Parts: sequence; structure tokens; C-alpha cells
Amino acid sequence: MKRFPAYDPPEYVDWQPDAELSAEFVDTWYRDPERRSIVEQLNREPKLDLYRGLLRTRLHDITLKRWVRHGIISKAWLGTGEEAATVGPVHALNRRLDIVAPMIRNAGACCEMGMPVADMLRGYLGTYDSPSRGRDGHVGDLDRRVLQPISNIGIMPPVTVGIALGFRLRGEDGIALTWVGDGSMKHGGTHEALGLAVAQHLSVIFIIQNNQIALGTPVTVHHPPGTFESVHQAYGVAGWSFDGNNVLDAYAATKLAVRHCLSEAGPVVLAGETFRMGGHATHDEQEARELIPPELFTHWGARDPIGLYEEYLKGDGVGPHVLERIESEIVQEVEDAEREALSSREASRPAPESALEGVYASYSPSDEGSERVP
Amino acid sequence: MPTITYRDALNQALKEEMERDANVFLMGEEVGVYQGAYKVSRGLLDAFGEDRVVDTPITELGFAGVGIGAAMVGLRPVIEFMTWNFALLAIDQIVNSAAKMLYMSGGQIPIPIVFRGPGGAALQLAAQHSQAFDSWYAHVPGLKVVAPATPYDAKGLLKSAIRDENPVVFLEGEMMYNAKGEVPEGEYTVPLGEADVKLEGSDVTLVCHAKTVTVAQRAAQQLAEECGIAAEIVDLRTIRPLDTDAIIRSVAKTNRCVVVEEGWPFCGIGAQIVDYIQLYAFDHLDAPVLRVTQADVPIPYNKRLEKAAKPSPERVVEAVKQITYLD
Ligand SMILES: Cc1ncc(C[n+]2csc(CCOP(=O)(O)OP(=O)(O)O)c2C)c(N)n1
Ligand SMILES: [Mg+2]
Repeated sequence: MKRFPAYDPPEYVDWQPDAELSAEFVDTWYRDPERRSIVEQLNREPKLDLYRGLLRTRLHDITLKRWVRHGIISKAWLGTGEEAATVGPVHALNRRLDIVAPMIRNAGACCEMGMPVADMLRGYLGTYDSPSRGRDGHVGDLDRRVLQPISNIGIMPPVTVGIALGFRLRGEDGIALTWVGDGSMKHGGTHEALGLAVAQHLSVIFIIQNNQIALGTPVTVHHPPGTFESVHQAYGVAGWSFDGNNVLDAYAATKLAVRHCLSEAGPVVLAGETFRMGGHATHDEQEARELIPPELFTHWGARDPIGLYEEYLKGDGVGPHVLERIESEIVQEVEDAEREALSSREASRPAPESALEGVYASYSPSDEGSERVP
Repeated sequence: MPTITYRDALNQALKEEMERDANVFLMGEEVGVYQGAYKVSRGLLDAFGEDRVVDTPITELGFAGVGIGAAMVGLRPVIEFMTWNFALLAIDQIVNSAAKMLYMSGGQIPIPIVFRGPGGAALQLAAQHSQAFDSWYAHVPGLKVVAPATPYDAKGLLKSAIRDENPVVFLEGEMMYNAKGEVPEGEYTVPLGEADVKLEGSDVTLVCHAKTVTVAQRAAQQLAEECGIAAEIVDLRTIRPLDTDAIIRSVAKTNRCVVVEEGWPFCGIGAQIVDYIQLYAFDHLDAPVLRVTQADVPIPYNKRLEKAAKPSPERVVEAVKQITYLD
């Protein structure tokens, strides 16, 4: 894809394909017969959809970064470098039945579940036509089966388990999926959720998204083993790892987890290794560069999930013009979304009085909460 | 006198107390290598080492409890919460272990510990990150609750809190860390439980604490300029124990009072203050006591909505006009 020197991490700006890493990309899932068969059953179109998802997620983040730079918003939380760990798993779900509970790094999950990029951007702008009516910057959309993030760590995993319990009690086949950061794996709430899902034998997929850092704490400081591949054993449930920068491996590993859940075999704990290619948010990118050893940026920068997947697709017979066409379509989609969202700033400003509405259940939002500027 | 930020005032207090007493140590998320999410602990890891500046995993309930255990055996922990919003699980430890242990053990086990961090709203952090829990903690017997408004008070009160034999909930504010004020060089403390008259006046008392001191100051200025009303500002500084004498003294002088606070109205700090005023200063009142609080809703994200939901100088001015019958 086109790189953005002003916004991309330097490792991405200079990204070059590497034959060894490309071979490793395939080998990662090829050597596991189950994953290999899942990938081999994937047709061209779903493979290209994964590519669309990765691009959409990256471009969404770049738009936010630009907005921060231009003072349109003051801060943004990004998933740069971690796109595959979000996009692959979502594509492995049944998006009409399952529900996802994304955290800040998983904004891409919202779009892949069908939320328009414009809605995500409106969320940040806090417009009245955003899904949250301007009440929150991180949005969800239950109609599209996306839970709005609960930002206090450890609080959302049990809620996700509750969604799975709801599926069972209502006789529905849905699976509930949530991501848990390496730092968030230390929180008691997360462990209560795991325990509850196990005890109730529920269809929950927990993805431990190990991006090697929690705010400013390297994973080995709060979790000396450095990886989470055996966490599932402590709970006596199924679990396996995947390469979080390899969208096909993430897809296949989650597909296996979906099958496991559908056979009513209980929860699955997946562990994906990836890396946060920036700061905790846009405000501390510089600090992250000072805090995290540069070798880590070099190592993971070479494993840009988008670059790797593009190389794979080319090797799989997708012509460069096809990739270019897809890229220009997604660029267009995100640019249109940006334009739409920015126009909402004027066209759909929440009226101050609307702050007082909607604390209790009798609320039904109406157009009157918005001040329309003709 | 040097002018420093609220952040640096807290930093000085921590440093001085850690130098003075080897039992004092700091613990919390990102307090060491990262030097605090809001940089309050800048330089402390270098100065005191990993044993006394302890980085924890994301485990608020856990490290609050670890601090309490350490306090039981003679240490004087200062526990930093990245913000008080993240301490809701820790409230179990604070209320059940820290606040009650002395009483339940018949006086055997004092818990000298400080829980500190920013509370209330900043800018556009939305409902789950903007909560003022002042009244929640003040509700609990056994806890002291402190909420300084200025760098001078922040330093002096934190030193007193660390030296206190009781658990102290110390409420700071993201938006206050950069506020500047004069702080003398050398040793001083501000005692817990003493309010401070930040502005003398004869017409109306504005009771406030922490962030709302600035709100009251702006309102007082506007009232003086536009209506010739002289407001007296009583900054509580400590919410529990509450300096009722200072409040009653002021109300006896001005005969009118508006209580300004950041939290929600229902069962708020102001409700308690109004109760004291009606009990001890009933005969001095020329008008009902009014309260200005945040709107009775979770704080919304959008700037305009957020502004509409927060207590503001305009609303304080409005309230004062109402009770001085200028409306
Ligand atoms: C209970 C709680 N404590 C602290 C925070 C502040 N906080 C937000 S994100 C974060 C780090 C999370 O790290 P990790 O789980 O690894 O996720 P990542 O940010 O790396 O995606 C912290 C400490 C919070 N949101 N909730
Ligand atoms: Mg992490």
C-alpha cells in the first residue's frame, strides 16, 4: 500500500519485502494441517476481503492521526501494527450471529462487523449523529453486533461472558468474542471472566492480544514468561496461539476456535503475538520510542501485517493491478467517510440540553437533540 | 517564593517524605519507569530505587490490598491510582480493609496509608473516565478525604496525609497538575481538617474544594465586577474531617451560601454541608442555601455537552443572584 511518511512508523515508510519473512508467513499456518486446510479452503474473494479489512483499519487510524496533527481532535488510540489480530478473527466469525467486544486497539473490529467508517470517525468528533449521540468517543453498535467498549480494564470480559450466557439461554448459536491486552490479563476481572466462562461452559473466545507492552510497562515486567500460550491450561480449557501479524494465521486460529465453540465444547483462549507500533495513544509516541528497545520496532516493523499479506497475495496469483484497485476503493471509502464525518460537525451538533436526556430507560433519541445549522 | 506546578508540589512532597522516613514508599501502575501517567513521580525511581518506587501490573484491587498489608506491618505506603476511575474495584480494599481494620481490631491495627490520584473530569474523557468520587469516600467512617486546590495546599496536605496514622484518600485532578502557585522553600505542612478562606467577602459564602475553587474564584470576580457583590470563598481542602467551624463562621458573617462541587448532586458533599448549615447556622440565614454541582448525568464526551454538564462560574453567579434576590 501507499505509505504515509508523515504518519506511518518509519519502519513502514521504508518497508521492503523479505523473502525469508514471506516464506515464514506461509509456513506459520501451513505446517499445521488444520489451519492449512482452513486457509486452502478460502476463496479469492474472502482473501481479498481480509486485505480490504487491513487497509480500512490502517487508513482509519491514519485519518485519526492526521486529525490529531491538525487539531481536529486532541488524542486518538490506534491499532497500528496490530490490524491482523483484529481483522483476521472478525472475519472468522458468523457476523450475523456472533457479537464482538473490542478494546481500544480493536477499532477495526467495528468496521469489519459492518459499522461504517464514518460512524467511527463521528464517534471521535462526538457529533449527535454518531452512534453514541456524542456521549462517548469510542462507539459500538449493537445492531451490528458490536458492544461499545468499556474502557475500565477487566470490566468487559465478564460482560462478554454474559452475552454468551444470553445466547445459550435464548437457544441461539452465537459466540461472544473479546480481546484482552497483555496488561489487562493481570486484572482480576479478566480472570473472573475466564473462570465463569469455564464453569458455565460458554461459547466465548478470548483473544489475548500480546502487543508486548501495557501503556509503558513491557510485557516481561508484568508477566515474566512474556507470552500467554499456556494460560488456557491453567483454566483447563482449549487454547492455542497464533501469529498476530499474520492475518491468515489469525483467521485460521479463530476459525478453529469457532468450530470448537459450535461443538458446544466451551470457551477457547487464543494468544496472539503482535506489537504496538506507536504509543499508548497519539500523545506518547515519542516516549514509546524512548522506552521500548529499538530492536523491537525493527523486528516487528519488518513484519508489517499489511506488507506481509500483500506479498502473500501476489505470490498467490493476485495481480498488482487488483491490489491497486482494491486500495483505491478503500482509500475512497475512508476519504468519503472522513468528509461525511467532518460535515456532521456542523450539521449535527448536539444541543447542550441533550446532555440531560437518556440516563434512564424511557429515553428515545430524537432529532430534536441536534442543533441543525441550515 | 518559587512558583511551581501542582504536579511538582506533589512530587516535592513525595520526595521529601521519602527522604525523611524510610518507611514511606510509592506503588502503582507506571509510577516508576514511566514516572507516572501524569508525571507526578518524575525522578523518584532514580532517587529511591525499585524497592521504594514500585511498578505494579494492572491490578488496582490487588495493589491497594498489598499497600494495606504493608501498612499493617509498619510501612507507610502511598498508593497511586492512575485515576480514581480505575479504583472502583480497589474500593473494596479501601472500605473493607483500610477504613475498618483499626476499629474492628479494637485499636490493634492502624493503617497509615495514602491512596492518591486524579479524580473528576478533565477534558473529553467521557463518562467512565470523568467521575468525582469525593462523596463516596467521605461517606465511610475511618477514612480521611483530602482534595487540595493549589500547589501550596497540595504539598502541605500530602505531607500531612503521609504522616497521618489513618488511611487518607487524596484526590487530585488531571486538569490541576499544570496549575501554578507559590510554594515556599523548606519544610511546611498543612494540617488535615482545616478549611482555608481563599477570598474574604461579606455578602455571600461560596463553599468549594479542589477544581471548584477556580470555578468559585471566577464567579466571585464576575459578581464583584458586575453586581458589586463581595463573595467569600471557603476552600474546604479536607472533606473529612470537615471544618464545620470555618463554614459556620463564614455563613454567620455573610448570611448566604452557595455550595459548589464537582460531583453529582444526589447525596453529594454539598448535601452534607447544607445539613450542617441548617443545624448550626439556621438563624443566620437570609436565604436558602443553594448548590451548584455537575448535572445529574454521566459526563458526556462531546465538548459542548461536557461543558453543559459541568459546574460553571455562570451557574454559581446565577445561584448567587437568586439568593441575593437580584434576579
Ligand atoms: C482498571 C484500569 N486501570 C488502568 C487503566 C488505564 N489503562 C488504559 S489502557 C492501559 C494499558 C493496557 O495494556 P494492555 O492490556 O496490554 O492493552 P494495550 O493498551 O497494550 O492494547 C491502562 C493501564 C484502565 N483503563 N483501567
Ligand atoms: Mg498490551
